[in-house]
Amino acid sequence: MRQFDTELKELREGIMTMAGIAEDMIDLTIQAHSERSASKAEQVMQQDRLLDEWELRLDQVCIDLLALRAPAATDLRRIASSLKIVPELERIGDHCCNIARRATYVHPPILSSGSLERLGQETRAMVRQSVDAFVGNDAGLARMVIQADDSVDELYGSIYRELLRLMMSDPLCIERASHLILVIKNWERIADQATNIAEEVLFILEGRSAKHTYLQGDAAE
Amino acid sequence: MQTRPVLRSSTTAKVVDRLMLGLLWTLALGFIAVLLLFVGAILKQGWPVLNLGFLTRMPETLEAGGGIKPQLFNSIYLVVLSLGLSLPVGLGAGIYMSEYAGRGRALRFFRLCIETLAATPSIVLALFGMILFVQTMGWSFSIRSGALTLALLNIPVITRVTELSLLAVPRDLKEASYGLGATKLQTILKVSLPYAATGILTGLVLTAGRAFGESAILVFTAGTNVSAQFPDFRWTVPGETLSVHLWYVTSDGTLPDAREIAAGTAAVMILALLILNLLVRFLDRAIRRRTR
Amino acid sequence: MLNPKTPETKPVKLSVKDMHFSYGEKKVLDGLSLDIHAERVTAIIGPSGCGKSTFLKCFNRIHEVASEVKVGGDMQIDGIDIYRGGIDVVDLRRRIGMVFQKPNPFPKSIYENVAYGPRLFGVKDRAALDELVEDALRKAALWDEVKDRLKESATGMSGGQQQRLCIARALAVSPEVLLMDEPCSALDPIATAKIEELIIELKEHLTIVIVTHNMQQAARVSDYTALFWLGRLVEMDLTERIFTTPRERMTEDYITGRFG
Repeated sequence: MRQFDTELKELREGIMTMAGIAEDMIDLTIQAHSERSASKAEQVMQQDRLLDEWELRLDQVCIDLLALRAPAATDLRRIASSLKIVPELERIGDHCCNIARRATYVHPPILSSGSLERLGQETRAMVRQSVDAFVGNDAGLARMVIQADDSVDELYGSIYRELLRLMMSDPLCIERASHLILVIKNWERIADQATNIAEEVLFILEGRSAKHTYLQGDAAE
Repeated sequence: MQTRPVLRSSTTAKVVDRLMLGLLWTLALGFIAVLLLFVGAILKQGWPVLNLGFLTRMPETLEAGGGIKPQLFNSIYLVVLSLGLSLPVGLGAGIYMSEYAGRGRALRFFRLCIETLAATPSIVLALFGMILFVQTMGWSFSIRSGALTLALLNIPVITRVTELSLLAVPRDLKEASYGLGATKLQTILKVSLPYAATGILTGLVLTAGRAFGESAILVFTAGTNVSAQFPDFRWTVPGETLSVHLWYVTSDGTLPDAREIAAGTAAVMILALLILNLLVRFLDRAIRRRTR
Repeated sequence: MLNPKTPETKPVKLSVKDMHFSYGEKKVLDGLSLDIHAERVTAIIGPSGCGKSTFLKCFNRIHEVASEVKVGGDMQIDGIDIYRGGIDVVDLRRRIGMVFQKPNPFPKSIYENVAYGPRLFGVKDRAALDELVEDALRKAALWDEVKDRLKESATGMSGGQQQRLCIARALAVSPEVLLMDEPCSALDPIATAKIEELIIELKEHLTIVIVTHNMQQAARVSDYTALFWLGRLVEMDLTERIFTTPRERMTEDYITGRFG
């Protein structure tokens, strides 16, 4: 294998490692909330440091590859997209920290019917699928992730409205509800990040930006 | 297990290398020594005779003290005439062969002719010239018979030199010229010939030197007499040259000082060739500086 | 540089349709078709021996000088067949200038090199020649470097200067098209950068076709890139597309260095 291919493989494996850490953090975050576990929340914070370290390392790898290899075509797209995917993964970690930090503030529960858990699970599935799409070069899966974002947004909206209602009806809920609003906002952001990753995967595979399609009049050709 | 051979440079190879170098040096030095001895001997014998008078007096037929003025003149005149005759033909043929003839059969046949002509012994040319010009044309022993026959000797050499010099012109220069819209003739005249000039010039001087020293041809075509007038530019008169004179006085002459005259003549010829060669070096360098 | 969003506004200058080329028995180009737009830089890339240089030389018919060749198909400049009987090859070569791989100035003075072309076409007047020479040298970004030594031999210049002189020499006969056959392959990076700058300036008024082994060079200077392989056209497209999203697998492999 060529040296360049070896370096590309290292980059790819680095991103897979980051994705693995981010997924672990999401699992831990969900558990921290369901179990009201301060120690699991603490583990999330520790994992985040790992993710930050990987971000610095992979940024450097990408810059080096661009500077030294003058990549073109697929290689260029893969490296340019990696430069964007890496911060997305790092941001997922940050959002997990924000959510985990509030694990003990939001009890006793005020929300009904496990809708918060559902939001967490759906978001987690999106992250998982976007990473699988990246690893498996699977455009179909990436498109599914982008579509799934709508359902997460919907879920976010309905929980948000429910929390508003609770706050209006019972002032004692206001503190917990406002923390919960931040929590669901962070889940929704993580889902957006997964969407962005999926869009980058599409760019790598198809060479056309999947973002802001309303601006790309001729993108339909 | 197979052991790897140790790679050691062989001492015998080095020794052989040294020996060969020494041998080549010895040969070269030996050759230069012979050359110097030879030229030295000629110049030493000729030196006492060499003076302005020797160069500017008319020759004597029976008495001692004759000069070589007309022979010197005839030598130069014949070389110039023969080159004047052979240069256009040789150049033209050379240009044709390198630029126009293509790569076919005709060219191979033509080249064979030229090479045969170049290899023809001069005595054969001499007899041919005598039969054709002296006898058939009825021009007797004369400058024109000599010049024309001498030209036959020059043409193949000039042709070959021109052809080789033109073939050595880099293809990218010619392409550059064509690329600017030059025709073939324009390219040959403005790029190829100037580039080939030094090569052709060198060939020309070698030819001139050879013509200058040629005797067999001129004995049979230009004769062994000189005109009583000086300078005589007519081409119908006989024109004995230096080399013919040298041969004549030593083999057939009745001169009491034949030995001295011959030595002096030989020395003059050697010096003239030396000057000619130096002149060419100088010209060559001047052209090179201007064009490369 | 031209990008995929803006439509091409320049007319087609050189058009090639189903072109074949062989040296004796050996087929060099086989069924090439492509259009080259005016006032654009078109780069031709491909592995050695793919016929790029040969293709270039077909436009000004310079290959005819050296050897027996057969050209089939259709090559046009401004809609006129280059190989039609009766076309004036000399005029064709004036309109389509060429710069070669190795700088090849004539062993003459700088001035005489540039004046060579105009003189061929009968310009004799000294003042007119002076003006043409200065103009060509300025266009080739060489005037300031040589204006005080126009009488000096061109072969004493640096490689980069020699190549710009060759460009000036080609420009002096006001060509419409400039063919460049790996013009920087013998130059150092600084001289190369100057030539590349020059190419971008020159395309204002000229159609440029450049053959290059250096893919980054093709990416830097050209609007269109064509990939040749074994005498065939693999893909031709806007350079931006070729280097980010080529359509053909072979193009992808070639520009990412995974070829063969």
